[in-house]
Amino acid sequence: MTGVAAGLAAAPGRLQALRTKDAVLTAALVVLALLVVASLAGRVVPGLNDGTTTVGGRFEAPSLAHPLGTDSLGRSLLARLLEGIGTTFLLSAVAVVCTAVIATALGILAAYLGGWVREVVMRIGDVLYAFPSILLALLVAAAFGAGITASLAAIVLITVPLMTRQVAAAAAQVARRDFVTSARISGVSAPVIMARHLLTNVSGTVVIQATYALSVAILVEGGLSFLGYGVQLPASSLGLLASEGNLYLLTAPWILISSGGAMVLAILAVTLVGDSLRDRLEPRQAVDLT
Amino acid sequence: MTLVELDAVTVRFGTGPRAVHAMREVSFSVDEGQTVGLVGESGSGKSTAASVALGLRAPTTGAVLFDGQPLRRRRMAGEMQAVLQHPMWALNPRMSVAASIAEPLQVRTRDRGAVRARVAEMLDQVALAPELGARHPHELSGGQRQRVAIARALITSPRFIVFDEAVSALDVSVQAQILQLIQRLQAEHGFGALFISHDMAVVRYLADRVVVMRGGEVVEDAGAADVAAGFTHPYSRALLEER
Repeated sequence: MTGVAAGLAAAPGRLQALRTKDAVLTAALVVLALLVVASLAGRVVPGLNDGTTTVGGRFEAPSLAHPLGTDSLGRSLLARLLEGIGTTFLLSAVAVVCTAVIATALGILAAYLGGWVREVVMRIGDVLYAFPSILLALLVAAAFGAGITASLAAIVLITVPLMTRQVAAAAAQVARRDFVTSARISGVSAPVIMARHLLTNVSGTVVIQATYALSVAILVEGGLSFLGYGVQLPASSLGLLASEGNLYLLTAPWILISSGGAMVLAILAVTLVGDSLRDRLEPRQAVDLT
Repeated sequence: MTLVELDAVTVRFGTGPRAVHAMREVSFSVDEGQTVGLVGESGSGKSTAASVALGLRAPTTGAVLFDGQPLRRRRMAGEMQAVLQHPMWALNPRMSVAASIAEPLQVRTRDRGAVRARVAEMLDQVALAPELGARHPHELSGGQRQRVAIARALITSPRFIVFDEAVSALDVSVQAQILQLIQRLQAEHGFGALFISHDMAVVRYLADRVVVMRGGEVVEDAGAADVAAGFTHPYSRALLEER
């Protein structure tokens, strides 16, 4: 069979694979949108927006009045869960934006300037990368004290090294392109080359890595809050609720099931969106569809 | 008058017994308005010679002179340009054709009107329709992209242009068109050119003089008219006979 004939024969399979991938992406986006809308609704819809008031007895099982049941103080778990989703998403998103800015700047500087700048950036990244992420998060929490600031700093420190490495690798490829050499010959300054030529051509990598960083951020926030070093009461987050659910696992399993389930859904959806973006923005690195 | 001169240039990578010499005591010059062809197989040091001539790489020993003065790349940026090998990577895929052509000029002037007018003039000079200025590189053919790269190189009216394997990636009919374009533009603008290729026929078509490199050394430096009869080195003759 010739290459063309083989390609044509494989085409329906590829088409089917593309359709499946589109369906997965759509499902992941719908789940993410539902979680975001639900967390926003939790802040504005009367009856859903108060996770601090006692509305019933302790550990009431899910019912029509309280769809997810109540917690150890008789508060609506649905209200607390929606607030928790909002807190976790907001905290993770802010941390990932910080990570993206820092990692993009460091990665592009390391790739374009090379030499000792590259060595310093990469070795610091290696040192941070060598720490198990939860250990690094606990060290940060010990330094900053438990709370949102510690969670934010921990997520940034954990996600920056990997993203910097990926951005630097992508930027190094771009820096070798002829159009960058031509710009240097033309006297275009280094900051302009980095912004105009490198940044614009690594933006796809940044977006993809940001989605992976977002799933890591949700996990780290959950882990820190679970251990008591992240978001503090009376606020709510998915990790904090999971911690509480763990305490009352036999009495009120719905607390752990709802918070853990929301966390798994969020991480799964974000990761699938990241995979899908990678397939679209970096087709050469995508898995073979045949 | 000599425009660019490489005087006993050596480029060495690494030190000690593992040192690799990309160029050894290489000397040649390009006069105003002259085209010098630089020929040799892969790894002969042609592209290193080009980067040294453009000030992108400093020689380990030896000197590079521009207009009789030591080369200072930043000061002479508008005076020299390059058209490089890969039409696909010669232009930033995120920038429009007009923005790519305008970039070297924008380093020197902020007058947007003047830049726009000059870009239109350059598109006309390389025989591209004005509406192509709004397109992106992936919407152009290989030949069109190389015309854009030439327009970009010409926009600052440089006195010296390096063409590094500028037609190697194009098919034969497009090669001929681009070579004719370069010839016409050089006659109009009078720039000195260093035309690097592994294809002796292409170099002989354009060059006033041919320099042959092998293993980082110049093995032949002859006038193009003498090429057939004047080559004395067996390697140079072998390159001729390949055609």
